[in-house]
Amino acid sequence: MVMKGIIDTARSLAYWQRLQEVTSNNVANANTDGFKADRLAAHILPGGENPVPVQSTDLKAGALRDTGRPLDLALEGPGFFVVRTPRGERLMRGGSMRLDARGVLSDMNGNPVLGQQGPVLVSGSKIEVHADGTLVVDDAIAGRLRIETVDEPATLLKEGQGRFLPATPTKEVAEGQALVRQGAVEEANLDPLMSMVDLVTIQRAYASNIEAMRAMDSVLGSITTEVGRV
Amino acid sequence: MDSSLKTSASGMMAQQRMIDVIANNLANVNTTAFKRSRVSFEDVLYETVQGARITNPQTAETVGPVQIGKGVRVGAVLRLDNAGAPETTQRPLDVSIEGDGFFQVQRPDGVTGYTRDGGFTMSDAGSLVTKDGHGLLPEITVPQDASAISISPNGVVTATVTGSSTPTEIGRIELARFLNPNGLIAVGQNEFLETQASGTAVTGFPEDEGLGQLLQGSLESSNVEIVQEMTDMIAAQRAYEINAKAIQTSDQMMQAAHDLIR
Repeated sequence: MVMKGIIDTARSLAYWQRLQEVTSNNVANANTDGFKADRLAAHILPGGENPVPVQSTDLKAGALRDTGRPLDLALEGPGFFVVRTPRGERLMRGGSMRLDARGVLSDMNGNPVLGQQGPVLVSGSKIEVHADGTLVVDDAIAGRLRIETVDEPATLLKEGQGRFLPATPTKEVAEGQALVRQGAVEEANLDPLMSMVDLVTIQRAYASNIEAMRAMDSVLGSITTEVGRV
Repeated sequence: MDSSLKTSASGMMAQQRMIDVIANNLANVNTTAFKRSRVSFEDVLYETVQGARITNPQTAETVGPVQIGKGVRVGAVLRLDNAGAPETTQRPLDVSIEGDGFFQVQRPDGVTGYTRDGGFTMSDAGSLVTKDGHGLLPEITVPQDASAISISPNGVVTATVTGSSTPTEIGRIELARFLNPNGLIAVGQNEFLETQASGTAVTGFPEDEGLGQLLQGSLESSNVEIVQEMTDMIAAQRAYEINAKAIQTSDQMMQAAHDLIR
């Protein structure tokens, strides 16, 4: 049974290593606007025998920070902005938008942020975004931003650059639930203290698994070299 | 394990970049019409190491995939174009713009530069130039014997010439505005250049078509706020430290695994 012990410990080491990778990515994004931290936990799934890593993204809102930049948009409450990428529509929590060469409201990577009638053209100098997502340019309404969500936010797949790929069709967030805040960004929802604790825990847990493996290895060593010797 | 080292390294480099931008903001806290910048980060590609799996075929219960992010990168360095407060200088050739618009200046390479720094001086030929000697466009030449130069809010420049008791008009300052001033590129010397993203310059007289008015005897101060920069600096420093800690942890784990081999 020593062999099974070694295999189990190896599995455990792989888990802690995975957790270290997840935690590293979380802390690397400590100052990334709109970033949602990932969590990893080991679960024995129904019908399974061994624990497997189960990941979830913490969708808790981050703190809002005022920037004073008119094209910085954040959401207060549930929901996401909708952006059009070459590979289809994606959701994002907001961030620093910009205007592309034609004046279309886009995210930092040039993907148009969609309004009810598609991309929003901004031609003017005074841009106001109301809490309900209505975009007013030089006192004329230019469009209203789509604020949507999915039934099971846990199924959202991260794509990088702050975007989420919805697994199921998106639907509009009920009016008044999500408020658009202009001139603000949502900070990463990472708890630096907890991440620090995680790093220490990972290191200790990994070290004790290594110790366990060393002990089993030495038992195995005695069996193969000592047993049977007269 | 090697991947978590790279991830943390990207985190440290990102925070370093944030400090670079903050340092430049702080260095320009007293630069006329300076516009502060802010770094905006974004997460990078995610590797799906374990796909979503069905745990209960009857109820179609699933467990989400395990995705490992590969760190962070600088998405953009954003300039904040809000105006700084006008600062009174009493110098007749100091002009600030209250509202939208840029002064147009002739750069040595022939390209038109745009600036909100209205601290003009006179060249040896008597024309108005910036501190760096770039001539104001359209050119305004002050006669040799002129005194009492006055600039009105709508841009008319007048001077009193010796022997005359009434001031005479010697030119009119024009301003340029852009559809997307955030798209202008900063080239140093407090000047900006037009880009495809900014749109083309629309020129006009001050106070016309949404352009701001001129204020003689004052300069626009920098829009850097020291307290803001200080708090940003703390945020960057703490994030840097925690990424360094993550590297340390990864390193010790690798070392421990390595020590297993006798």
